[in-house]
Amino acid sequence: MRRVFQMPPQLFRILLLAVGVVVAYSIARYFLTPPSFGEYGWYRGAALAELATRDRVYAGKKACEECHPDEFQKLTKHEHKSLACESCHGPGEAHADDPRKDNIDRSSFAACVRCHEANPSRPKWHKQIVIKDHYTGKCTECHVPHSPSETP
Amino acid sequence: MKNNVSRRNVLGRITAALAGLLAAPAAKAVKTVTQEVLVSATAPKDYDPTKHKWVMAIDANRCIGCGFCAEACKKENHVPEGPYFRTWVERYIITKPKPGSGAARGETLVDCPDGGMHGYPEASVPKEDIQHSFFVPKLCNLCKHSPCVQVCPVGATFDAPDGAVLIDPKYCIGCGFCIQACPYGCRFLSPVTKTAEKCTLCYHRITRGLKPACVEVCPTQARIFGDLKNPKPDDPIQQFYQNNLVTALKPHLGTEPRLFYAGIDKEVR
Repeated sequence: MRRVFQMPPQLFRILLLAVGVVVAYSIARYFLTPPSFGEYGWYRGAALAELATRDRVYAGKKACEECHPDEFQKLTKHEHKSLACESCHGPGEAHADDPRKDNIDRSSFAACVRCHEANPSRPKWHKQIVIKDHYTGKCTECHVPHSPSETP
Repeated sequence: MKNNVSRRNVLGRITAALAGLLAAPAAKAVKTVTQEVLVSATAPKDYDPTKHKWVMAIDANRCIGCGFCAEACKKENHVPEGPYFRTWVERYIITKPKPGSGAARGETLVDCPDGGMHGYPEASVPKEDIQHSFFVPKLCNLCKHSPCVQVCPVGATFDAPDGAVLIDPKYCIGCGFCIQACPYGCRFLSPVTKTAEKCTLCYHRITRGLKPACVEVCPTQARIFGDLKNPKPDDPIQQFYQNNLVTALKPHLGTEPRLFYAGIDKEVR
């Protein structure tokens, strides 16, 4: 082998190999790095948009208001104004997409007790009852969930 | 010099020039094809993450332990069945000290049945023995210096510019380093996808102008959510900072959580 810069051939081969590795790495890196890598930082920027494309399950209060403005208005005027519709009625995106009576929870009376059953861990300002001393029938016999201060 | 121009020479130079011209676009085309095979980046671009800074805050004084948040999170994010939670609610019970013990307080008992997602049963301690008891919702602490991000060997988890700490599911190799690194236990290895999962602040909701599912269903506004870069006059998050003395969990670790708590005891970690 011809001597390059008076370099011993065994050194030249090692050098050639090292250069080859660097070149191969650079080519691989050029082709394999995703285009959005480094857009915002040391990660794939497109991941943000991909995570944002997931479908939702809860529709949000505004979607409920579109079709049920009366119930919505009633709710905002009473004690339960801080509740979302979906707090008691459960996830509503399926119902908002295809409004039917059987794809939304319409009778979640268990939800009343879940918040209002007396529990020493609950804050004092929160209205609580000991259910067995209070009444054992349906809550809605005496209370209107959308306007708790009214009687049916 | 003139004598050097030969047919072979000219042809050689033209070929080299053409190859040079074609090489760059050809390489680009190959690159595009390679990347389309490897990753699909066809998501909408109408949301700019650099124009927001999302944050959540917890007012534990308002938490009634209904667990709607934990339940909603599980449904909204299709979190696997079983002991896997992106957010959950803990119950703290501090008992009265034993008479004559000379202590200020008794034991601290913490429980969290099913992450609190079905509400809370009666406490294991009779009411008379309880000095203090309260609920604490837990979720990703949105650290400024996230240990989970630092340990990821493949750059799959990151602090997004809009404040969320996210995981790229296509890059996550499921090594679990981040799960060990998180001092707040906010990550888990999904038995379905075999990748790490965590609270994303409901990234698919907040980017569409909705609140995270847990904030949406919280009946008492114990969870407060807002955008620090676009404050509104009646912003609940600004009111929260205005009206409360706040604390963060495990401040001695230097993670500097952006998630602030109001109304929690020193026993909460």
